[in-house]
Parts: sequence; C-alpha cells; structure tokens
Amino acid sequence: MEQTELGKYTRSFGLSLGITSVLSALLVILKETNEATVLAWMKTATLHHWVTHGLINLVVFVVLGFVLSKPNNGDGVKISANTLSICIAGSVIISAILIAGFFR
Amino acid sequence: MENFLLLTHPATGGLATLAALWVFVDTLNANEASEARIKKASLICAGLIWLTYFLGGYLYVMDYAADKEIIKAGPWAFGHNYFMEVKEHVFLMLLLLATYLPIAAFDGIASNKTARKIVLWVSGLIVPTSLSMEGSGAIISLAVKIGLLFKMKGG
Repeated sequence: MEQTELGKYTRSFGLSLGITSVLSALLVILKETNEATVLAWMKTATLHHWVTHGLINLVVFVVLGFVLSKPNNGDGVKISANTLSICIAGSVIISAILIAGFFR
Repeated sequence: MENFLLLTHPATGGLATLAALWVFVDTLNANEASEARIKKASLICAGLIWLTYFLGGYLYVMDYAADKEIIKAGPWAFGHNYFMEVKEHVFLMLLLLATYLPIAAFDGIASNKTARKIVLWVSGLIVPTSLSMEGSGAIISLAVKIGLLFKMKGG
C-alpha cells in the first residue's frame, strides 16, 4: 500500500535546508555590507571567510535538522509534502536571486 | 597541483550533475527494483558534491588570489566581481541540497509517493544549479586567460 507521510528526518532536514539556505543568502549580504566587522571576523575565524561561511551553514543545517526532529513527542515537525516542496524550492530560488541580485 | 585541481573539480561537479539527473529520471518511475539503485545514486551525488567542495575549496582558498588579481586588472573583471562571487556563495546551497538528497531518497521512495516528490524537487534543483556552477567556472577561467593576454600586451 502506498505511504503518504514523509519520514521525520525528511521533514526536519528539508525544513532546515530551506531555512539555512535563506540565512546563508542573508549572511552574504550582511558580511559584504559590513566588511570591517562581520567580514573581518569571518576572515580571522578560519583560513578564509568562505570557509567560515560554509561551516556556519553546515552547523545551522545539522543542528536545526535535529532540533526540528524533536517536537511532537519525537515525531518531528509536522509539514505536508506540498508545503515542504514549496519551502525547499522557494528558498533555494529566492536565495539564489538574493545573491545574484546583490552582486549585480 | 593547481592545474590538477582545476581539471578535477569541474569533472567531479559534472559527474555529480549526472548522478542527480540519474536520481531524477529513476525516481520518476521508482519501484522496489530501482529503490536501491536510486539510494546509491543519491549517495554518489552527495559524495561527488562534497569532493567538489573540498577540491574547489582548496583551490579557491589557497591558490585563487593570484588569478583574482589578473581577472580584476583585465577587461573581464566581471569574471570575479560577479561570477566568482555568485558561484562561491550559491555553491554552498548546492552542498546543502546534495547533503539532503540521500536523506529524502532513503525515505522508502518505492512505496512513498510524497518522498518521491521531495526527491524529484531536490534532484531537479541540483541539476540546473550544478550546470550554472560549471558555466560560471568556464567564464572565470576565460577571464583569467583574457586577463593574462591583456597583461602580455601591456594593458
């Protein structure tokens, strides 16, 4: 019989992907418009600001993915497949537009 | 070493694109016979994107500064100012998409219509994003070449 419910990690990490993607795009704008503070800190935190950016993204993605798998007595955040698809595709497209538009 | 990395990182990126396309096409008609294959392809895609991240990242962090100066001093300064800036940041989203692909692909896609839908969306987003990375890389390498020619002619 065909299942219609997504697994809890598909839901939690999918939502985490959407949120992290937008946060990453906003971090690009934040660091590029605050070179003396944010960008300078990101440059000194690791070898390169891009390495720091990647690490922040991965930590947020993993932590948020596990945090969102905990609500509802450990059953994870409730979200339909349609909403999750829109969230993932929408956030990736909006983030790409934010980045491409910022450097234009 | 730099030339080796210059050749391998778009190659692993291109192979990752093919793996994502494989996942997309196979998922359109997923069944119990193809489920294991789709899972393997999703892991291959994620592994190749991570390999591309390390190879390209090493090149970008350790060796790119000299190329950047050449590009910025040449007539194709947009090769860095636009294409590299966009590429390096959009790639980070591609890394997240590729990392998530196996999570969704391991959600029983043979018997779960909704999981198939998510896998189709994610693999479908990876393909054009990866191709745009390949295209940007081609523009950046051409910008270095044009910058060097410009420098040789005393520009």
